[in-house]
Amino acid sequence: MRRRLKRVLAGTGRVVLLALFLLAVVLPIYWMAITSFKTHTEIIDAQNVTYFPKVFTVENYNQLFSMYDYGKMLQNSLIVSVATAVCITLLSILGGYSMARFKFRGKGAMLLFFLVTQMIPGILVIIPLYLIYAKLGLINTRFSLFMYYLIVNLPFCVITMRSFFERIPYTLEEAAYVDGCTRMQGLRRIVLPVMFPGIVAVFVFAFIGAWNELIAGTIFISTSDMWTIPVGLKSLIGKYDVKWGVLMAGGVLALLPTAVMFAVMQRFVVEGLTAGAVKE
Amino acid sequence: MPYLILYILLLAAVCLGAFLLLRRFESRRPAAYRHAKSIWEPYLYILPVFLLLLLMFGYPLINSFVMAFQNYKLTAPNAIHFNGLANFQKLFADKDMGLIMRNSLVYVVASVAGQFILGMTLALALRKKFRGRGLYQAAVFLPWAFSAFVIGLIYRWSFNGEYGVVNDILQKLGWVGEKLAWLGTPGLSLLVVILAMIWMGVPFFAIMNLAALQSIPADVYEAADMDGCGGVRRFFAITLPYIKPTVIVTILLRTIWIFNSFDLIVVITGGGPANYSQTLPSYMYTRAFSGYDFGLASALGVLLMVLLAVYAVVFLKVTKYNRAGDF
Repeated sequence: MRRRLKRVLAGTGRVVLLALFLLAVVLPIYWMAITSFKTHTEIIDAQNVTYFPKVFTVENYNQLFSMYDYGKMLQNSLIVSVATAVCITLLSILGGYSMARFKFRGKGAMLLFFLVTQMIPGILVIIPLYLIYAKLGLINTRFSLFMYYLIVNLPFCVITMRSFFERIPYTLEEAAYVDGCTRMQGLRRIVLPVMFPGIVAVFVFAFIGAWNELIAGTIFISTSDMWTIPVGLKSLIGKYDVKWGVLMAGGVLALLPTAVMFAVMQRFVVEGLTAGAVKE
Repeated sequence: MPYLILYILLLAAVCLGAFLLLRRFESRRPAAYRHAKSIWEPYLYILPVFLLLLLMFGYPLINSFVMAFQNYKLTAPNAIHFNGLANFQKLFADKDMGLIMRNSLVYVVASVAGQFILGMTLALALRKKFRGRGLYQAAVFLPWAFSAFVIGLIYRWSFNGEYGVVNDILQKLGWVGEKLAWLGTPGLSLLVVILAMIWMGVPFFAIMNLAALQSIPADVYEAADMDGCGGVRRFFAITLPYIKPTVIVTILLRTIWIFNSFDLIVVITGGGPANYSQTLPSYMYTRAFSGYDFGLASALGVLLMVLLAVYAVVFLKVTKYNRAGDF
């Protein structure tokens, strides 16, 4: 009897705990979302903070597009992030394959090199890179961002891809080679189809990494027609009169793509995160 | 835009070159496992990645190192020259350095501890299967995918002194009399940054710990149950030792990541008030792009690297990373 009581208690405790965690995650998001649907006067009424919009309005979203050219920011973010993600996926398939399937001199050193790049703060590279870009006339281009996002996200993605390759038994490929396939054919027809989770995970990592980045954007980009979403919204905070409704609307739209991506591909992403960082 | 096209063309050309080279290697059948057809084959595949990193990561880093010993101000491009250790002298004469070092330490330790404890709790709660676990995970792990920038915005807005929801709730609960100026008070501003950082990082720790927990074989627990081992003892005698390697690696890597990341600081407080929420990397950013004194900023960078190098050596010793040569 006592034992059963104990089990019931533990079960309830767990449910309460899980509910609390969910609440902690949802509340800030809820607050952002409802702020974006409030009128400006309601937002800046310091005496009555409302927990649900009295007047429901999409005015903030309208302003975001009409006054602040959010469409352009979206476009820039999308171009840079997709380009980064595609290139990283291709490069890390090749690199990860090499790291997983071959023994070669210098492999350990290369892994260490990748690890070290993960430890160096981005700002240390951004400053000299800014000067290099300036010399090459690359300041204020989408390419400057693309290049930076490529190099900062590559090492982790290669390592992740490598662990995914290592899980696939070589015998699968070998059979194809015995039948006369070349390496590239074997890779394309046999390995990559079963590698789907890994490819998805790496693509999502790279896309999210590029989509969410702020610091390099504020430094490499100087004119509003090149702004990515974080850089554009950041410039709005700098203004004297901060329009929180508009900012929150921008935030909601910025989170949507990555949130949907993550929710749909959660299983692969979780698998990738654990594969990339932890030795099995 | 023309550069982008140029670059894509260049990239295409390189890929084409590599492809043609590969074709030559492909004339023969691939040999047995882990034996390349040519000793160059593995290098060829990894080469693009390696070259990119060397060129765009290694080279700038060396530049950064050189700049630390130069008088390098973007505002005076004709007066760039070596000045020995002058930048470092200026750095250590900076009376805010002590404060910034302390902030960095508090920020890193508090964030890592908070993330680890909450992440572990969440992982333990998620361990047993229940209906809708996949859905629940998709929701509760969501902050992992969120941009630090937007999280910063949310926290900055919620902790706003006048219109912020946090002050309102605290007042309604009767915990504070007057509204607190969260972002304008020394100590409190750093606390808000830490809270945001913890919120953002719990999912990652939970994911890692959960994976580690799930790798523990079930029969160990069965044996413990037979011997009448209690819940608390079970955690400390079985669970913890089993997941220790993963936990240590995760914590150590995450510490570096948290130390290096400062988007939250830039968005929420901008380092204010008066550097009370400034950490080393965010200070470096501020110094480089408000005064354009790249020499001084690079000196700060070298200091950062020394700290990280010491940390990395300890890290490698503790985890035996390099001996395993494996991730």
